[in-house]
Amino acid sequence: MIKVNGLYHSYSKDENYAVKNVDFEIAKGEVFGFLGPSGAGKSTTQGILTGLLPIQKGEVEVVGYDIRHPKREMFNKIGVSFEQSNVYGKLTALENLEFYRKLFDVETMKSMDLLKWVGLDHVANKKAGEFSKGMKHRLTFIRSMLNNPELWFLDEPTTGLDPAIASQIKDIVKEKNNQGTTVFLTTHNMYVADELCHRVAFIIDGEIKLIDSPRNLKLQHGEKFVVVEHLENDVLKKEQLSLDIDQDKARLNEIISSGKIEMMHTKEATLEEIFIKVTGRGLE
Amino acid sequence: MRRILNIVRRDIKSGTRDWLVIYLAAAPIMFALVLKMLIPSVGDSTLNVAVYEDTPPAVISYLETYAKVIEVVDLDERILRMDDVFGVIVGDSGIEIVAQGNEMEGTVDLLKTIVGRYENQVIDLPIEVEFTDIGWIMSPMKLEGANLLIIFNTILGGMLILLNLVEEKMSNTISAINVTPTKRREFIIGKGFLGFFLTLYGGAAVVTILGFEGINYAMLFISVFAISFIGAIIGFSIGVVSDEPISAIASMKTVFIPVLASIFGAIYLPTKWLFILYWSPFYWAYDVIKEILLVQATWGQVFKNSGIILVITVLVFVGLRKKIQNGLS
Repeated sequence: MIKVNGLYHSYSKDENYAVKNVDFEIAKGEVFGFLGPSGAGKSTTQGILTGLLPIQKGEVEVVGYDIRHPKREMFNKIGVSFEQSNVYGKLTALENLEFYRKLFDVETMKSMDLLKWVGLDHVANKKAGEFSKGMKHRLTFIRSMLNNPELWFLDEPTTGLDPAIASQIKDIVKEKNNQGTTVFLTTHNMYVADELCHRVAFIIDGEIKLIDSPRNLKLQHGEKFVVVEHLENDVLKKEQLSLDIDQDKARLNEIISSGKIEMMHTKEATLEEIFIKVTGRGLE
Repeated sequence: MRRILNIVRRDIKSGTRDWLVIYLAAAPIMFALVLKMLIPSVGDSTLNVAVYEDTPPAVISYLETYAKVIEVVDLDERILRMDDVFGVIVGDSGIEIVAQGNEMEGTVDLLKTIVGRYENQVIDLPIEVEFTDIGWIMSPMKLEGANLLIIFNTILGGMLILLNLVEEKMSNTISAINVTPTKRREFIIGKGFLGFFLTLYGGAAVVTILGFEGINYAMLFISVFAISFIGAIIGFSIGVVSDEPISAIASMKTVFIPVLASIFGAIYLPTKWLFILYWSPFYWAYDVIKEILLVQATWGQVFKNSGIILVITVLVFVGLRKKIQNGLS
């Protein structure tokens, strides 16, 4: 669905690259996460892939179209949800969707169905300018689904949303992916990436540091620990034990045999910990 | 075409929500009505004369050749009203002209010429003079005012385009349109449509309200259409870089300077100095619209002036193209 080879981009059109030597491919049906802190080059890369930024150097193919010579019909196949909500405040939610719906040449989803999907049907005829931030975000999000895109670009789809709405958004992404939609997810939220993505790319200072599945990354870079809280001589103790060290494994067995465990859970490395380990930088 | 109409419909819907389109659509009508009301003679023939009822019929008959004559009992009361009416009194020492003092400049001289000719008709002149044309075809205020309003409408049209674009910039919705199959030219035509329509409709409203009869509407349409482009380009160039309506309107207002400079320059500058206005498309528009309103324009003149306007517009567009393109990205 996407092929990127040797992509560079400089806003100042000099050697100050916002994106440099970026290579990756995304297969049909995949959810690909672009993970990095603010200013890492995520949105620049997405801007180039969606044709919003001109390509300066490198080769990019999106849904079979060479992005150097893009054709407008390409946009019948892709959907783009922006990080910042961008809707017409003077138009109602329904009017917003109806306006965009008529800009496509392909069969589109019904506006009311989409509004129902994210719980905005009761405010369908309310002006979007009177919406809360979360409501505007949901409207921006469902607008990107109007044309049933084959390839769906999502830029920070859950940022700034309350957990219930964020969960709703993630469920929709999963459902669309199950129906065959390929997703390019740009985020700095490792939990979202971990939950949704088949593969993630770590990008920092415009360069991709690694690409792999969250599971492989955890296996390669994480250490397997178990945290146990247990009573010993009526005193609550908390221990972190490695599952790779024999001495710790023996201690774990000892605790389990004592039968005085209060709480026990595995502690795998998070994507954020792996990101910090690999790049030396945090995600915020 | 479907997408263009969709964009136009959206702009109308959005514009009517805050009365923007209504205000701008009403503006040409309001301006024309105000002009018609404030300038009493704007819709009248050149000269209005009041005489006492006992004025000799020969004098009345003579004056009626050049002016609208009304017979009154109280001449002073009639003259003191708001409109432009002169009094003519036939006395023992000859004919007197009574003026209020607020009449349109030059009209008293015109009346003096007319009255003078009547009084001197018995003088045996060595040459024979035939008095056929007093040089005035139409009230200057009506002519120049209408011309100014028609050209001013192009700026209103540009302003409508500008405000619609500012709305797009403020809500960052151009990016959302850029990721649909909408072509750039479809977006530009859609966004420009209302501006052009407002300019053309405004021109028609002005000539209708001010009572211009017998003018060639096709000529007027072509000339106004040509000058509309400059308003649209200015609207686009300011609109795509503004994300706040007040500053955008403030920038647009600076365009009034070349508009007014061109029109008043054309009115007051001697012919030999008119070349300093040749750079201005508004001058060429003024020049041809004046002839159209006087029903003296030829197609050659309309095409020549419209061609010059379009050439200047293309040059302006070339200068601003990059700015507009970047703003629409």
